[in-house]
Amino acid sequence: MSIAAETDYGTPAVAARTDVTVTIDGHGVTVPAGTSVLRAAAEAGIGIPKLCATDSLAAFGSCRLCLVEVEGGRGTPAACTTPCADGMVVATDTDDVRALRRGVMELYLSDHPEDCAGCARGTCEIQALAVRTGVAEVRYGRGGANHLAEDRDESNPYFAYDPAACIVCSRCVRACEQIQGTFALTVSGRGFGSRITPGATDFLASECVSCGACVQACPTEALTETSLVALGMPTRTVLTTCAYCGVGCSFKAEVQGAGPDTRVVRMTPWKDGGANAGHSCVKGRFAYGYAAHPDRQLRPMVRNSIDDPWQEVSWDEAITRVAEGMRGIQERHGVGAIGGISSSRCTNEEVYLVQKMVRAAFGNNNVDTCARVCHSPTGYGLNHAFGTSAGTQDFASVEQADVILLIGANPTDAHPVFASRMKRRLREGGQIIVADPRRIDLVRSPHVEAAYHLPVRPGTNVAFVNAMAHVIVTEELHDVTFLRERCEEVEEFLHFIVRPENSPEATAAETGIDADQLRCAARLYASAGNAAIYYGLGVTEHSQGSTMVMGMANLAMITGNIGREGVGVNPLRGQNNVQGSCDMGSFPHELPGYRHVSRPEVREIYESLWGVTIQPTPGLRIPNMFDSALGHSFLGLYVQGEDIAQSDPNTQHVEAALRSMELVVVQDLFLNETARFAHIFLPGTSFLEKDGTFTNAERRLNRVRPVMPSLVGKDEWQVVCEIATAMGYPMSYADPAAIMDEIAATTPTFAGVSFARLDAEGSMQWPVTEAAPHGTPTMHVGGFVRGRGRLTQTVYVPTTEPTTRRYPLILTTGRILTQYNVGAQTRRTPNSTWHPEDILEIHPSDAQMRGISSGDVVALSSRVGTTNLTALVSDRMQPGVVYTTFHHPVTGANVVTTENSDWATNCPEYKVTAVQVTVATEATRAAYAGREAAVRG
Amino acid sequence: MTSGHAPHETPEMRLGHDLVRAFAHLPRERAAEEIATHIAKFWEPRMRHALMAQIRRGNTDLHPLLVRSAEHFVDGDIDRGEVREPSGG
Repeated sequence: MSIAAETDYGTPAVAARTDVTVTIDGHGVTVPAGTSVLRAAAEAGIGIPKLCATDSLAAFGSCRLCLVEVEGGRGTPAACTTPCADGMVVATDTDDVRALRRGVMELYLSDHPEDCAGCARGTCEIQALAVRTGVAEVRYGRGGANHLAEDRDESNPYFAYDPAACIVCSRCVRACEQIQGTFALTVSGRGFGSRITPGATDFLASECVSCGACVQACPTEALTETSLVALGMPTRTVLTTCAYCGVGCSFKAEVQGAGPDTRVVRMTPWKDGGANAGHSCVKGRFAYGYAAHPDRQLRPMVRNSIDDPWQEVSWDEAITRVAEGMRGIQERHGVGAIGGISSSRCTNEEVYLVQKMVRAAFGNNNVDTCARVCHSPTGYGLNHAFGTSAGTQDFASVEQADVILLIGANPTDAHPVFASRMKRRLREGGQIIVADPRRIDLVRSPHVEAAYHLPVRPGTNVAFVNAMAHVIVTEELHDVTFLRERCEEVEEFLHFIVRPENSPEATAAETGIDADQLRCAARLYASAGNAAIYYGLGVTEHSQGSTMVMGMANLAMITGNIGREGVGVNPLRGQNNVQGSCDMGSFPHELPGYRHVSRPEVREIYESLWGVTIQPTPGLRIPNMFDSALGHSFLGLYVQGEDIAQSDPNTQHVEAALRSMELVVVQDLFLNETARFAHIFLPGTSFLEKDGTFTNAERRLNRVRPVMPSLVGKDEWQVVCEIATAMGYPMSYADPAAIMDEIAATTPTFAGVSFARLDAEGSMQWPVTEAAPHGTPTMHVGGFVRGRGRLTQTVYVPTTEPTTRRYPLILTTGRILTQYNVGAQTRRTPNSTWHPEDILEIHPSDAQMRGISSGDVVALSSRVGTTNLTALVSDRMQPGVVYTTFHHPVTGANVVTTENSDWATNCPEYKVTAVQVTVATEATRAAYAGREAAVRG
Repeated sequence: MTSGHAPHETPEMRLGHDLVRAFAHLPRERAAEEIATHIAKFWEPRMRHALMAQIRRGNTDLHPLLVRSAEHFVDGDIDRGEVREPSGG
C-alpha cells in the first residue's frame, strides 16, 4: 500500500457511559462525555490546527493553536483541554481565532530554521501549519534571540535531536512519561531558555531507552530518525509484525523501492496494533538492520566434513544433498535416526510445515522447537491446571489489575512494550509484588515502587509459591465458592498446603525471603479485587519449572483470580512466535493443537489428509536428540533458525553431539555457531521477507507481510516443501494462506482463522471458533477449558545443583534490553553500542572477598566449564547470586550451564548453576582465547 | 562433581530419577503409575528401551521406584487417559 496515514484525533479516546452532542462549525457530533472539543472536531472531519496535542498523550494546552470560540463562553479556550458539553456550539474558524493562530505561528516561525529539512520532507508540521494559518512572513524578523545555532545531539545511533527545530511543546517529554514510563526527558530552564534535555548528559549516556516514543511524538524536525535523514522519505508502507520478543508489536514498515531493491527507511509502531497500541522498543523500532547485513549468507552451501571449507551450490543441489543424506542415514540406521528442530522466529505456517515434513516425510515424530529451552513448562503446567497451553489474558487486561504479582520476569528489558503498559497501570494506582533474585527496575524506578520485593533464591520458586498459598489458606483468604464451583482436587490440595513445612517461616531458610514480608505480600495478592500473575523464564527454566507453573495456577485458583479481565496467569513469552510454534505441533508428542500422537482419532485427521501413517509414539526432544547422537542412534538433524550451539545448555555437550552426527543441516540468516558443525547450509529469510502469521504471548495471531521478496531466491516454507518432495513425499502449497487454511481445517482452536479474516480484523486471539468467531481475549470465563481447574500438590523438591565450597555461588542468566537471545540479530545492529559484551553482575560483598572490582576480567567456572567475563559489581544482586546474559558467543554463558532440566519437559535449568568466580588467570585467559579463536573462526 | 546426579548415570537414568524425585511424595504405587504414565507419554521408545535394558542388566544404581514404574509399561498396563490428555510442554 502507499504510505498509511493514521488519523491523529488530538486527544485520547474517552470511555464514558453517557454521550453528549455538540455542534462544531455547524456539524452535529455525538461523542462520549469528557471527549475534548479537539477530538470531537476530528471525529467530525474538522481538523483544528495543533502542535502540542496528539491522541496518544493527555491534553497539555500549551501551543495555543487549537483555540476556538464557544457560544456563550468567554475568550478562546484551547480545544484540546475543553471537554464537550451537551448542546455546546463551537466555532473553529472565525476571524478572531484565525488572527490569534497567525500570531502564534509567527512566533514559532521566528525561531524555526528557514531551511528546515523536515518541512521540506513533510515530516515537520511547522511549515504546513504556517501555510494553513496563512502566515506568509514573520513580522518580527529572524534576527532576534533564537535557538537556531544550538548544537545537535547525534549521540544516539538511531535518532538525532536538533534543538533548532524544537518548539518545546513537550510531546517528547510527555511521551517518555506517559507512553514509555521512563521519565528520561525533561524541560530545563524557564521561558525563552526552556529546552528539552535528557538530563545533564547526551541522549546516549542518559536514561533514555531509545524506544522511539519521543521521535514518534515530535511534531517537528527536532527528533528525527537517522535513517530518514540518510535515505529520505519512504514511498510505501507495509503493515507487519516485529520478529523479536513475544509481545508481537505491529509495525508499519516504511520503505522505498520495490522488489529486491526495497529499502526499509524506518519501522514505526502501528497505532491500531492489538499488542502494542502504537508503542515500540529499541529492538523493534530500530534494530532491523540485520536483515540487510553483509554477514547474511544468501546462497546454499555444502561441505563433506565440518573441517572442510564451504562451497556454494545451487538450491537444487543443496536440497538433493539434504534429501539423499537424510534418506541414507535412515537406510543405514533406521527411520528414527533423523529429526528436525523448528524455530520460534519463523511463522506459524513455516513451523507447521517443518513438523509435517518430519512426520510425513521423515516418518517419525522427532520434531522439537526452541520452546523446549524456554516456555515448555508453561505449556505443560497451564495445560495440566486449566486445559490450555497458553496465557489466560490479553495484554490490555493488566489495565484492570489491582495487584500484579511478577515472578521471574524482567519486562522492562525483555518485554519492554508490555512493561510500559504495566508501568502505566502502576502509576494509576495498581500495586506490584516482585519476586526475583535481582532488584530489577520494576522494584524501584521513576514513579514505580514495588509494594514488596521478595528476593527469592534461584531454585526455590516452588517453596515460595507454596508459602504464598499456605498463608492465603491458613488465614482463610481463599475463595471457597470459586474452589467449590470451578475446581477439582480441592480438599487434597488444601490438606497439603496447610502443612507446616509450607509456611513462610519454614521455607525462609530455603527461599531467602523474610517470612513477614511474604505474609504481607500474600495478603495483598489475596485481598486485591483483581490480582494478576505475570511471569517469565525465571519460573520455567528450573528443575521444577512445570511444578512452579502449576503452583502459580494454584494461587490464581484458590483466590478466584481467573476467568475475567485484570487477573489470570500470564507467561511473558520469550520469542515472537514461541506460542505459535508450540500451537503448530512442534513438540514430539503432539500434533497441532496439543493433541497427543497416541490418539488415533487425531492421527486419522492427518493420515487421511497427508496420505501417510503417523507414528503413535513420541519422538525425541532436543536434549534427547543430543543424547541419542552421542549414543550413535540419531545422526541427521535439520535445524531451522535456531542456534543450539549457543543457546542450549552445556555447550561442550551440545558441540560433542553435533560433531557426532553424519548430517547437520542449518537453515538460518547467518553462519551461526551451530553452522560450525553443519554439512549443509540453507539460507533463511528475515521477517521482512516472510508471509504468514506470528502468535504472541496473548494468543494473538498477527499477520506478517512481506516487505520485500526473499533475498535468497526461495521462501523458507518452499524449501521445506522441496526437501520433503525430494525425499519422496510430495508437498506443495499455492501460498502461505493455503497452509493456514490447512491448519484451520485440522485444528479446532484455529477453525475460524484465515489470512482473509486476519486482514479484515487486524488480529485475532485463539481459540477462534464458531462459538468465538472473533477470538478469545480472556480464557476460562465461566469454566475451564478442561472442565474444572485442577489443583496440584506442588511439593518442593530442591535442585540437584546445590552450591558447594568449590562452587559457592549461584549463576542465573537472562536478557538485557538492547540485545536479544543469542544476539545473531541485535549484535549486527548499532544496539551493540549499549551492550557490546556480556557482563557478570556480582554483589559487592562477593566481589570484595574475591578482590574483584567493576571492569575486572573474571573467570566464571562451573562443574562443566569455564568462561571469562567482565565483572560489574552491583547491589542489584543478592549475596551468593551472580548474573549474566547469553547474547555473545565468545563469552558463551552456556559453556558453564549444565544439563539439569525440568522434570516434566526437560527445559534446561538455566537459572541455577553452581559456580565460582575468580579474577582471571593466565590459564583461564588462555582457555578463553582458545574458545574465542574457535568461535571467531 | 557437585550435581545430585551420579556421574555414571545414563541420560535415561538421569531423566528417570528426575521423575522419581518429582513423584516421590506420592504413595509408592501411585508414584510408580505417574512415572510410567509420564514415560509413556513423553519418552521416545528407544529411551524406554534403554531404561529397560538397564533394569534387565540389574543396574543397582536405579531407584527402586523407577524400576517399579518400568514394570507398568513392560506389562503394558499403562493405558491411563492421562496419556492422551493434552499436555503442552
